[in-house]
Amino acid sequence: MNMKKRITEGIKNLCLSLVGFAVILLLWAFIVQYTDAGLLIPSPLGVAQRLIYVITHPIGKSYTLPMHLVISLRRVMTGYCLSIVAGVLLGVSMGRLEMIQAIFRPIFEIIRPIPGVAWIPMAIVWFGIGETAKVFIIFMGGFVNIVVNTFAGAQRVDEDLMNCARMLGANERQVFFRIVIPFCVPYIFSGLQVGLSTCWMAVLAAEMVAAKEGVGWIITAGQDIADMTQIFVGIIAIAVTGLALAAILRLAEQILCRWRVRGK
Amino acid sequence: MNTYLKRKIKLKIISLISLCVFILLWYLATAILELVPSYSLPSPVKILNTFIEKLTIKSPEGATLPQHIWASAKVAAYGFLLGAVFGLPLGILMGWNTKVDKIIRPVFDFLKPIPPIALIPVMIVFFGIGTKSKAVVVFFSTIIPCIVNAYSGIKQTSQIHLWVSQTFGASRLQQLFTVALPSSLPMIFAGLRVAVGSSWMALVAAELLGATRGIGYMISTARNLLRSDIIIVGLLTLGVIGIFITLIFDLLEKLIVRGGK
Repeated sequence: MNMKKRITEGIKNLCLSLVGFAVILLLWAFIVQYTDAGLLIPSPLGVAQRLIYVITHPIGKSYTLPMHLVISLRRVMTGYCLSIVAGVLLGVSMGRLEMIQAIFRPIFEIIRPIPGVAWIPMAIVWFGIGETAKVFIIFMGGFVNIVVNTFAGAQRVDEDLMNCARMLGANERQVFFRIVIPFCVPYIFSGLQVGLSTCWMAVLAAEMVAAKEGVGWIITAGQDIADMTQIFVGIIAIAVTGLALAAILRLAEQILCRWRVRGK
Repeated sequence: MNTYLKRKIKLKIISLISLCVFILLWYLATAILELVPSYSLPSPVKILNTFIEKLTIKSPEGATLPQHIWASAKVAAYGFLLGAVFGLPLGILMGWNTKVDKIIRPVFDFLKPIPPIALIPVMIVFFGIGTKSKAVVVFFSTIIPCIVNAYSGIKQTSQIHLWVSQTFGASRLQQLFTVALPSSLPMIFAGLRVAVGSSWMALVAAELLGATRGIGYMISTARNLLRSDIIIVGLLTLGVIGIFITLIFDLLEKLIVRGGK
């Protein structure tokens, strides 16, 4: 009975959001059709047609939309994975070892408040406009967020739990892998979640400033040839991919932090 | 207690030494050994000099550092205040009233996943490269975390507290202002913090892509001129402003949010 009620509730909500969505599209179409804004904004139908068209036809001279997405995703993943490795290592060791914290904290505190996007000009001077510069920008975007969260988690590890494990005869290595790391995982995941969205923003910005391919390039290329439809296609592709990335990460979190989900 | 204090002082000294060593190594690598060309990484002394110069001198990109900071801060403040003024009440309303929630939700879900940076070219087409387009981008990157956090802050209000106030005869409006709002304040502040971070980032990106003044414009022009000393001055300025904003928010939160922790 409860289950059935929940399902009907879910269907009702889905219908409501579909109706809301339809209203937005209609409003958009109406505005484009009957006001001056139509000169600037493409119609939803035009954007949809273009979206389907570019899945098989190249944008510009080079790649199709899925290929642009793959290129951007590859950049994001390279930078993101590097920032996970470096960020978790630095975060955990800063949180657990006072000496390491004393050494690295001041330098990290200087870098922390600089927005990832602001590294773009510096990265271009250092690495040119190739892949390295983009990976570096993405790395800087993710790294800071991951370190901040991991560090917070590692500092809050329950001392009682650690002492308890020690009393029961665990050595330091066991304490580290059985208590400290599992305790940090939820914190690390919130860092990963924030880091991923920052990385996705960073790749966009990096590609908009200097690139020959990728989703950010789609938008700036659209701007250069005054093709608003292409810009909108780019925005939709970016939004959908961003949503998908966040959803995948949330799923991974649910699998890896099962005890936490059960606790809720 | 004494040994604890001693250890604290020792760690502080180590921090200081590490910072000094870092700067010294940087100086050694750039100014004395010249391991890297000065156009790619200038020495810390050069950066300090550039910083002092930029305070008063307009070359090479046509405005002094304080003028750039003022330009960026103005745009950020416009966009941020507008975003917070619209976003927070909207989020609170959505969290409090299910009907409003159901109506606005789809629009919001539609807009939420769009990174504000992707909107920059659209806004440039609409509003040009002046203050307006950047303020709108900042507005978008502010309003979304504001709505999300105000909404979930209100939603997380303890049902028992609401029941208690209801038992004592509070009206719906009184419940909102005396129970739900105060209990959601920490969430709202967290949202404002996220908003400051993301709007600052969006602003810098907007200035990199099209501007005539502002810190982002300064560093992107410096990049074209291969003046990495100016780029680093810009980065450090952004960092210091970021720390400053965080401090202001810490203070505000302490003043406004009572109880809790």
